[in-house]
Order: sequence, then structure tokens, then C-alpha cells
Amino acid sequence: MKLKEFNFIGARKIALSISAALIAIILIFALIFGVRLSVQFSGGTIITYTYEGEIDADSIQTEAQEVIGQNLSVNMKAGINGLDSFEIVLDEKEGLVSDVQAELDTALSEKFSENNVTFLSNSTVSPSIGSEFFIKSLVAIGFAAVLIVIYVAFRFKKISGWSAGMMALVALLHDVLIAFGVFVIFRIPLDFNFVAVVLTILGYSINDTIIIYDRMRENQRLYGSSMTREQLANRSINETLSRTLNTTITTILAIAMICIVAVVCNVESILSFSFPLLVGMLSGTYSTIFIVCPLWCMWQNHKDKKRPKQYAAKRR
Amino acid sequence: MKRIGKPVFFIVAAFILIFTTIAFTGISSTYGDITTTYIKGVGDIRWGIDIRGGVDVTFTPSTDVTPTELQMEAAAETMRQRLVSLNITDYEVYTDTQKGRVVVRFPWREDETEFDPQAAIQELGATALLTFREGSETDDEGKPTGVTADIQIEGKNVVQAEALYGPISETSGNVYYISLEFDDEGAQAFSDLTTRLASENGSISIWMDDEMISNATVNEAITDGRAIISGNFTHDSATELANKINAGALPFQMEAETYSATSPTLGQGALNAMLIAGILAFTLICILMLVLYRVQGIIICIALIGQVGGMIASVSGFIPGINSFTMTIPGIAGMILSIGMGVDANVITAERIKEELHNGKSIDGAVQAGFTRGFSAIFDGNITNIIVAIILMGAFGSADNIFSKILSPIFGYFGYATEGSVFSFGYTLLVGVVLNFLFGVLATRLMTKSLSRFKWFRKPSLYGGGFKK
Repeated sequence: MKLKEFNFIGARKIALSISAALIAIILIFALIFGVRLSVQFSGGTIITYTYEGEIDADSIQTEAQEVIGQNLSVNMKAGINGLDSFEIVLDEKEGLVSDVQAELDTALSEKFSENNVTFLSNSTVSPSIGSEFFIKSLVAIGFAAVLIVIYVAFRFKKISGWSAGMMALVALLHDVLIAFGVFVIFRIPLDFNFVAVVLTILGYSINDTIIIYDRMRENQRLYGSSMTREQLANRSINETLSRTLNTTITTILAIAMICIVAVVCNVESILSFSFPLLVGMLSGTYSTIFIVCPLWCMWQNHKDKKRPKQYAAKRR
Repeated sequence: MKRIGKPVFFIVAAFILIFTTIAFTGISSTYGDITTTYIKGVGDIRWGIDIRGGVDVTFTPSTDVTPTELQMEAAAETMRQRLVSLNITDYEVYTDTQKGRVVVRFPWREDETEFDPQAAIQELGATALLTFREGSETDDEGKPTGVTADIQIEGKNVVQAEALYGPISETSGNVYYISLEFDDEGAQAFSDLTTRLASENGSISIWMDDEMISNATVNEAITDGRAIISGNFTHDSATELANKINAGALPFQMEAETYSATSPTLGQGALNAMLIAGILAFTLICILMLVLYRVQGIIICIALIGQVGGMIASVSGFIPGINSFTMTIPGIAGMILSIGMGVDANVITAERIKEELHNGKSIDGAVQAGFTRGFSAIFDGNITNIIVAIILMGAFGSADNIFSKILSPIFGYFGYATEGSVFSFGYTLLVGVVLNFLFGVLATRLMTKSLSRFKWFRKPSLYGGGFKK
């Protein structure tokens, strides 16, 4: 039916090397520059104010330091809703006693009376609660991944479920690492959005993998042993290719729309959510075709070499 | 093959369009000043504080104590009481008995221009001052005056209050009442007070801060430090009063451990951005579907409209009596995402139909095969999303939701009721999956099978490009 079948499995060496290199870069980057945790996880305080006109970061710092009496840093940020804003980040992880905040409000609006400094938001988290939630999030992600693998192993017994499940897990790790890379490279602090992004990518990427596994399961039934594994996998990828492309294009366009609107309207909270999601979803599609299937073939062949007799008996 | 009648397409399509319209607009009637809502629409959705601005605080006891469950409930009751007296009615208060935390979320009041979240937080966390006073004389503002201005007994002298059900005298039969136990100092004061008031036929009122929460006539002198308050109590009102009295007797103060405050301007901008993104994304998806799958594309668009309607209905509560869900920015993102995933179910089916047509099947055969063969992939893919959604809801929901209970062996160690925005992401994802099966599979199948019986729609080229027939 199709004039040309792409040989995806044949491209495995290039694909696997690219992925390995990418992951290595991300990990090295994370090691050198560190991973930023948002106050939601690390504990601490961020207070945001909007202002008009020009304000000098140093003078804010001096003023705020005088009121609070702690080490702090000031980040200037361009327009949320057309209003420029600055963040005051307390270095100490203790959080801010709430009456100090009121003092700070007054001090800043008096000092910079021409700039119409207005309180926008405050986020204070105690370090104990922060790290507790971070661990809870990691447990949630790990638990979801384990359940998914068990489900895949159970549903795809025909194409040797546990290997299928494990290879799917490898792809999930790959996608999560790529999404993590976006957070690390663009210096987005990890927060609850990161958890939501990772879990979404888990669901999306495994969905993609399952579609192809499903076709492999069907083709296995149709063609049995008349095809090698590589042929079976390649045929299945090619048959589902138009679905993969159409769905990916549609979902990616939808998420890209969110990214664009977030950039245009300057809503950082949405952008820091949708952009890593976009990249993770692209990676999810890629990893299914170029990582899961080749790895599955390689792993199965490797198992055969170890137990040639059983394999022969099974194939008959 | 089971035949689906020709009218089915129109019935299903009409049902979807009407349902979605109602889900957006809602149905309500206005008679004079009173608006009765029959069905809730978009306007009735509760927006989370990340959208409309507000305060999200987690309180914890300031001293190193492990409060009992009863004390936690009492502390939460105090907060509710104070929120109401601050004129904030649209609040959420959760207790986390595991970690001794109380989570409070409340929005900005609409007319508020200068709201001071810090002051509100401190007021909420302060120990409630429970007092017993003579009589029930109040001034214009409801504050105690006259003899009532003098405090007779304080909350710290209360050992425990408990709501009970049973007979309170030989003739009364079973009623709800509150049993009150004082410590030695309190018992003495109470004994003196009731001895005097019983002879004068006076009354005692109970106050929390500046608000009278109960008022009772003294029938007899109570000397043993154990009193009962009876009256026309129901189970709920008796429990509520007992909680309030216990709150006044709390041996600790609540302190903000974690809090965030968002001003309304920040949230409103985000909401508008999300709405624009949602509309644009939806339009784009529809155009793509129409280009790719032609007739099938029309059906997909109708099914997607139904899916959006279903999402809205599940968030607004739809039927009066069902509480609307608190919608946050990640919740909206989950909605848009699940629509994207819903498209996948349709794409799988449409591609399969196209493929079967290429393989030389008739229209009927291809449509039938498209749905049956495509289903296993859709099913497995969606189940994994259910797994993710349930874990999100279990890990980040409040303690009393069913998923938290199921998953409590895993997440029970951690605090509950922690991150409402991630919870709503899980909720919209879960609803999205259910709607996928309802609209993306069932409704699409009915409409496609019905439409494929019309003579005009029996050309394979109408089901996708690439045919040279």
C-alpha cells in the first residue's frame, strides 16, 4: 500500500547516539550549574511587586535589606500584563514573618513613591514542608511509572510483556530527562508545574508507545514467524506513522498555541509549564519510534542468543 | 454488523450541540431580585485563587505539640468562624490530621482594593478567645455590653466539650446535646455563677472572640464542673458548637508555615491568556481534522465540541446541588491537553478506516473494522492516563477524597491537602479520559455508522485523501 517503508530500526545507531549525547549534555549541565528549586520545594520567600517607570535594583536591595535585616537578592522582570515587576528573594530559608511584609510594603512605596510600587504576590514556604512535598512528588512520579510498566507488561504478553514494559520505561526516563533538561537549561526553577509536566509526559509518551505496541501485537498475530523482529517493528511503525504524525502535529500545535499566547501576554507561570511540556511531547513521539522499538528488538535478540534452544521452541 | 439508523447522526449531533450550549450558558430564571439556577454554566465555575487572586495558607501549631484529631477539628472550626466574620464566605478549609496542619484558601473579596493578607493570616491563626458571660445583652454591633461585658469564665478552663446523643432527663427522650467539662478552677466559677443565676432565672451566653455562639437559660446550679447544653440541636449543630468550644480551649496557637498571596490582576491576565489559547487551539484542531479527514472530520469536530461541553459541565457542577470544582491554571491546561488526547482517539479511528479502505474493504466493512480494531489501542492508551490522573489526585488531593484514601498506604506518610492546582490538573485529565470514551469513541461511532448509510457519503474519497478512484 505504501510506496516506501522507512527503515526506522536501521537508524538506531544514530538515534541512540543522539539521545545519549543529549542526556549527557543535560546531566553535565545540571551538575555544573546546579538545579534550581522553587520556594515551593526548597522553602523560602519570594515577594513580587509591580512598578512603573524606572527603578534601580540596587536601591531596592538596600531598602529591603534595611527593613528585613536578612540577606536577599532582587530580580527585575519585564511585564506581566504590561506591568514591570521585581522579585525580592530571601536567601534565608526561614520564611518571612508576616508583619515584616507589611513594613516592607510601606517602606518600598514610600521610597519609590513615583513608581507606584504595588504588592503582587508573596510565596512563603517553610523548608520542612518544601522538601516533604518534593519527595512526595518524586514518589508520585515513580509510583505512576511502576504502575504503567506493570500494566504494559500485563497487556502485551504476546510481544513478551516485561521486556516491552521495561523498554517503555527506558523511553519514559528519556523523555522525563529531556523535559528536565528544559527546566535546567532555561533556568526554570522546579515547582509543582514540573510534577504536572512530568506526569503528563509519562501519560502521553506511553500512549504513543502503546499505539505501536498494539500494532506489533496485531501484526505478530497476522504474520507470526514469517517476519523477523526488525521487520515486524518497522512494519508496525510505518503502518501507524500517519496516525503518529497527525496526532503529534495536532497536540503540538495546541500546546504551541498556549506557549505563543503565554509569550505574547507575558504570563510566565503558563510558559514555564507549557514549554517543557511541548519539548517533552516531541521527545515522547521521537523516543517511541527511535528508542523503544530498536531497543526492544536488540533486547529480544540478545535474549535469544543467551537461550537459543528455548527461542527455537517458542518460535515454532 | 448491527445497523445504525440514518436519523441517529442527527439525534446524536443535536444532543451534543444542545448539551454543549447549555453547559456554556447554563439555565436560570430571574424573578425580581432572585435568580434561580437550574443548570450551571461557565459563569458558575469557581476559579481558584491563582486566577482570581487570594490567599493560600498552611497553618501549623506554633509550639511543638502533636494535636489530637478533636483539637484539629476545633482549630479548623475557629478558622471557619473567623473567615465568616471577615465576610469571606467562599473559603476552603482542610485539616491534615497526619501532620497537624490546617490549610486555608480564600479569595479576595470582590470590592476589595486594599486587602492586607498578612493581617488576615495573623487574625486567623490567633488563639480564639472563648468566654462564658452572664446574660446576653448586646449593643448595636452585637458586642457584649452591660452585665454581659464581664467575663465570668475563660476557654482555658474548659477541659473538653463533646456532642452527644441520648436522654438528658427522665422525660426528655433522646436528643442531641453538648456535654461540657471544666477543670477545678472553671468548675468553681461555674458553680458560683449558676447557683446565683438559677435563683434569678438568669442566662449564660458563650462567646468566641466578639461573637455570641450560644445562649442558655440556667435551670439549676451546677456544682460538679460537668454541664450540659441542650436545646433544639441537630447532629451537625451540636458538633459545630462543641468544636467551637474546644477551639477556645486549644492549648496552642496556629502559625502560618507556608503561605502565598496573589493579587487579582496577576490571575486575571493569566485566565484571559488561557482562554485565548484554548479557543485558538480548538479552532486549529478543528481545521486540521476537517482538512485531513473530510466527512469524518465533521464528525470529529462535533464529538470534540461535545467533549468541551462535557469538560465545562464537569467543572461547573452542571446540576444544582453538585458543588462546582475549583478551577486553577494547571486545571485549564489539563483540559486543553485532554482535548488534544481526545483528538488522538479520533485520529486512530479515522486513520484505521482510511487504511482499511486502502486495503480494498467496502465503506461499511472499513468503518466497522476501523472502530473495532482501533479500539484496543485507544483503550490501553487511555487506561495509562487514568493511572496518572488517579495518582495525581491521590497524592495532591485532600484527605477525604476517595483516591487519597486508596493511595494512603503510599502517600499517607506525607501531608495531605497540599497542592490544589496539581489536583485539579489530575481531575480534568481524568474527566477528559472518561469523555474520550463517551464522545471520542461512542458518539463518533454512532455518527459515523449512521452517516455512512447515506448514498452521498459512500465515496471513499470523503474519508481521507489519496484516492484516485
